Amino acid sequence: MEKNNMKNLILTLSIIGIVSALTLTFVYEWTTPYIQANQAAAQKKAINEVLPGVENVKEVEKNGDIFYEGFDANGNRVGVAFISSGGGYNGMIEIMIGVDLNEEKIYEFSVLNHAETPGLGARITEPQFKSNFEDKTFADYTVVKTPPQKETEVQAIAGATISSVSVTRIIGSGLDKVTAAYGGGN
Amino acid sequence: MSIDFKELVQDFANGLWTENPIIRLVIGMCPTLAVTNTASNGLAMGLATSFVLIMSEIVISIIKKLIPANVRIPSYILIIATFVTFTDYFLKAFFPDIAASLSIFIPLIVVNCLILGRQEAFASKNPTHRAIADGLGMGIGFTWVLTLLGIIREVLGMGSVFGLQVLGEWYRPMVIMVLPAGAFITLGILVGIMNQISREGK
Repeated sequence: MEKNNMKNLILTLSIIGIVSALTLTFVYEWTTPYIQANQAAAQKKAINEVLPGVENVKEVEKNGDIFYEGFDANGNRVGVAFISSGGGYNGMIEIMIGVDLNEEKIYEFSVLNHAETPGLGARITEPQFKSNFEDKTFADYTVVKTPPQKETEVQAIAGATISSVSVTRIIGSGLDKVTAAYGGGN
Repeated sequence: MSIDFKELVQDFANGLWTENPIIRLVIGMCPTLAVTNTASNGLAMGLATSFVLIMSEIVISIIKKLIPANVRIPSYILIIATFVTFTDYFLKAFFPDIAASLSIFIPLIVVNCLILGRQEAFASKNPTHRAIADGLGMGIGFTWVLTLLGIIREVLGMGSVFGLQVLGEWYRPMVIMVLPAGAFITLGILVGIMNQISREGK
């Protein structure tokens, strides 16, 4: 069949490829500003979520990492927020952690990005799991599968131990990073 | 060209029940089993897949005569991939919450055999208006089963529907229902019930 000669095959696929690439270029140009705005908004929201009562946020770079210092209305530093990331069950988990450096205490954390199983590992974003770290002092946390007995124990999400351990590890390495950058205190 | 409405209605109804992609043809199982752990995930996945299915059926039924038979599969995949990437960007830009909860399963629509299957079995052989009817029917057929699976698994596994708590504190969620095993169990029972219903109809 004339239609199936090599030239026609190459031509057809090339044309479809070019049209597809052109279309997607336009879609990419059109959606990128929205996607970036969403990410910036999510990051800002996450900072406000993990640092209570913050009016101003200042970006500081230390040891090559970026820290967001939060100040209240009177100009006092409430705490520092920063991003810590690591591998999870399905992919990278990115977490914003807010800490009070004076009392060496975690305010709260917020998950920015993750690819954990919906309904299981994805529950790391829910208040019940987050409460494991709320207002806790800096320490080595261990993951347990029963209700925690000690302050440093973290209750794993049922059926999602790997996700729970990953988050705990990411928070642990984040705390090391912030203590190293700020010299263990003010 | 005259349009036979009876035929169109039949093409549309085909996907809803007689040849429903999930319960009758049992294709497109990857998203069926993976993302139906909540009702809203099932619905969003169904709608995203329907969009890709309908759009690619339209394009392919229009250009079917221009594509040489030897490269039809790569051509279909390119066209499907274009619409999937479009959907991925679109959801990330305008529905970031849905994009976050479906994450990797949106790009994976490309390899959903339901979509490629319909191009090969229907869109490449029939005129555009029939392809639209088929795409709509198959899309809605896929969506309703996915949503139903999601509702059943969410109620039993989390005690909620579309994120709203419907069962009280007394209910102890069956964790297995949100795990992949729960998907197999629910789907098996559902297909059994559907078979029973259609057998009685005969």
